[in-house]
Amino acid sequence: MTTTAPQHATTEGRKPLGQHFYKLLTTTDHKLIGKMYLVTSFAWFLIGGVMALVMRSELAFPGKQVVSDETFNQLFTMHGTIMLLLFATPLFFGFGNVIMPLQIGAPDVAFPRLNMLSYWFFLFGGLIAASGFLTPSGAASFGWFAYVPLSDAVRSPGVGGDLWIMGLWLGGLGTILGAVNFITTIICMRAPGMTMFRMPIFTWNALITSLLVIIIFPILAAALLALEADRALGAHVFDTAHGGPILWQHLFWFFGHPEVYVIALPFFGIVSEILPVFSRKPIFGYVGLVGATLGIAMLSVAVWAHHMFVTGSIDLTFFSGMTMLIAVPTGVKFFNWIGTMWGGSVSMDTPMLWSIGFLTTFLFGGLTGIILASPPLDFHVSDSYFVVAHFHYVVFGTVVFAMFAGFYFWWPKMTGRMLDERLGKIHFWLLFFGFHTTFLVQHWLGVEGMPRRYSDYLPEDGFTFLNQFSTVGSFLLALSMLPFAINVYKSARGPLVGVDDPWGWGRSLEWATSCPPPRHNFHTLPRIRSESPAFDLHHPEIAALEEGERYEGSAVR
Amino acid sequence: MRAMKRAALATTLGVAVTALTSCSAQTKHEWKNLAMPDPGTEEAWLIFDFWRWSWVALMIVGIITWALMFWAVWAYRRRSANDVPVQTRYNLPLEIFYTIVPVIMIVVMFFHTVKIQNEVTALSDDYTTKIAVTAQQWNWTFNYMDEEVGEGQNIYNYGTASYIPTLVLPVDEKIRFELHSPDVIHSFWITGFLYKEDVIPGKVNEFEVTPNVIGEFKGKCAELCGASHARMLFNVEVVSREDYDAYLADQVAKGYVSDEPLLGQEYTRVPAGPSQESDDGGHE
Repeated sequence: MTTTAPQHATTEGRKPLGQHFYKLLTTTDHKLIGKMYLVTSFAWFLIGGVMALVMRSELAFPGKQVVSDETFNQLFTMHGTIMLLLFATPLFFGFGNVIMPLQIGAPDVAFPRLNMLSYWFFLFGGLIAASGFLTPSGAASFGWFAYVPLSDAVRSPGVGGDLWIMGLWLGGLGTILGAVNFITTIICMRAPGMTMFRMPIFTWNALITSLLVIIIFPILAAALLALEADRALGAHVFDTAHGGPILWQHLFWFFGHPEVYVIALPFFGIVSEILPVFSRKPIFGYVGLVGATLGIAMLSVAVWAHHMFVTGSIDLTFFSGMTMLIAVPTGVKFFNWIGTMWGGSVSMDTPMLWSIGFLTTFLFGGLTGIILASPPLDFHVSDSYFVVAHFHYVVFGTVVFAMFAGFYFWWPKMTGRMLDERLGKIHFWLLFFGFHTTFLVQHWLGVEGMPRRYSDYLPEDGFTFLNQFSTVGSFLLALSMLPFAINVYKSARGPLVGVDDPWGWGRSLEWATSCPPPRHNFHTLPRIRSESPAFDLHHPEIAALEEGERYEGSAVR
Repeated sequence: MRAMKRAALATTLGVAVTALTSCSAQTKHEWKNLAMPDPGTEEAWLIFDFWRWSWVALMIVGIITWALMFWAVWAYRRRSANDVPVQTRYNLPLEIFYTIVPVIMIVVMFFHTVKIQNEVTALSDDYTTKIAVTAQQWNWTFNYMDEEVGEGQNIYNYGTASYIPTLVLPVDEKIRFELHSPDVIHSFWITGFLYKEDVIPGKVNEFEVTPNVIGEFKGKCAELCGASHARMLFNVEVVSREDYDAYLADQVAKGYVSDEPLLGQEYTRVPAGPSQESDDGGHE
């Protein structure tokens, strides 16, 4: 909780704890709400991570050592739920709240009190969903995609399941309201001169992500309520008698697949902000990049059934083709990122290091994604550890790497203080090796024949060595949180940066106000005449050069 | 300093190589296929070939992209604190190029995908053996229907909590599987066949394979089905036609025969009302 409070205490000495608490409970300031989102989702990340460590410990040896089969099922169910819906999704709202209004020159979000309500819905929704662990029958154990009939009242009678459903419903409502807020803010509250095509890529991605959220989260909410009606009121929406199992899968994945892009696109946005600053070049192919993001978002609602290739109930050809097409805009993004660095002046500061870590990791996740998009190849590896490895490369590679990139990059903007570079690099390399040790070998486990969600395996399966390798990696990965914690502690006692742009080559508008910004973000707004207003302000000589070129270009034409 | 780093790297690599080469013969064999089990059916060979060539293509794409990335990082590293690179924003021909090329690659991959997927999912009428598989929490029942040895009766075999059942199949014959579930969703996966299909209550999935290698394989449930999901295992033995008939005759002699295939209840309604008395075979 170190990140939320200190900045308010800097000038007037330490405030009593009660005042901090009162401020947290009543604030409508988008920056503080954003920090509350970041801290809360990071806490969920640590909780979900501990669950993963327990699971990896169980899998280190064949036979049962640590937890029972049922507890293991609860652990992976809640691990998935927490990481997807209580960590990655609210993390987007954290970064969005802290950064997006600054990037468009707005004093706050459009509906500050709705913003506050969204946060509290998320917090209490999450607590309700996870409170199943406190009930006698334990938390939900039917997997985070809650396939019926396993999740019905007959097969999963515990109240943990009901808490899971209603908690996610409440948290989902918070997500929908947050997205409405972001869309309104971006459409209506841009500063003079901030046209749509001068918005930073992160803001574009926040807009497109929010649009995806309001397309898919209502479907999830409806499906969850129908499932709860089946469980509690004896409704028959997902009754086996009329194809309920497949109906649920369609509804769930119509939400579930675009959800992957909800948690990916904002983090692509973060990386797209960092690469230009540390390459000292504008983003390469801005319009193409925005187009690619829109393309991914559009395709993402037409590919859900690739999660159902082995159900024998869907049109394989259509969903395979649509899924493979996603590789095209994703490839465009990759080459735009490389193009941004190409011919630049690349400096490997910590935020850049994390961004390169993201590119390296995510690329492999993308390649295995193409394998999985092909039904004849998916038939073998579907629901195996290959899929587990694939989506950790994609989701961890994106969310976690880009999250730390964003933390190191925007920490001075959020707190007024830098994070330490050396600790940041130790943090990165520990996490990078830990991650790849944990998950690379899981591809082989899956191909060899280890299904996902197995709490145990036989000695003669030959899975022992790779599982142990993976377990060692997971503890290395966990260890990397230590340097980060030390870094945060050190930073809170460090000197203030005292300038608008400590990196020197920041481009978007948040670097044209103080660190941290005043209550309503800007005392004065600079002229906005390109997608890099802060850069134009701080490096007028280069901006003038470009302006000259632009005029020359038009004269020739 | 640099020498120390090199020594550390060499040691790490050495340990890694030793660890990898000290594995059993079986693991070494899998190392050769990059972990893929040896395909046990005609259909699996198609998938295996496609798998290999897909990886070749993808690794070429991957290596080129990684190389471009690391090259950019290295070649354009900052040389002086005052570097001001050219502020390039667009290169339209290049952008069009790297949009079109992936489209072409995807089209090729898609073409092969559809071709192979149609071959491995095709259903024919010339199968010789039909086996109804029942997946129930948390075990398997195998029904050998319409076998001559059974003289009109169904021959079966099933697993219990302390016994992993074996599915025996004749080699070089086309086999039709029918998948039934009386409770929740399961998934029928014989790892050496490189194929799985979900077992969904209220719906019968079917597929065909032609095992062409005599040997033993492992079978698993691949869809979360409750507490003992990880214990829902079976073994598969592919044997010659004579051994297969001998096995069935043995099952008959042991009394594993029934009038109808054992398919469990037709399905379980929600919530659990009075149980619908099943007559096992309500599907056909």
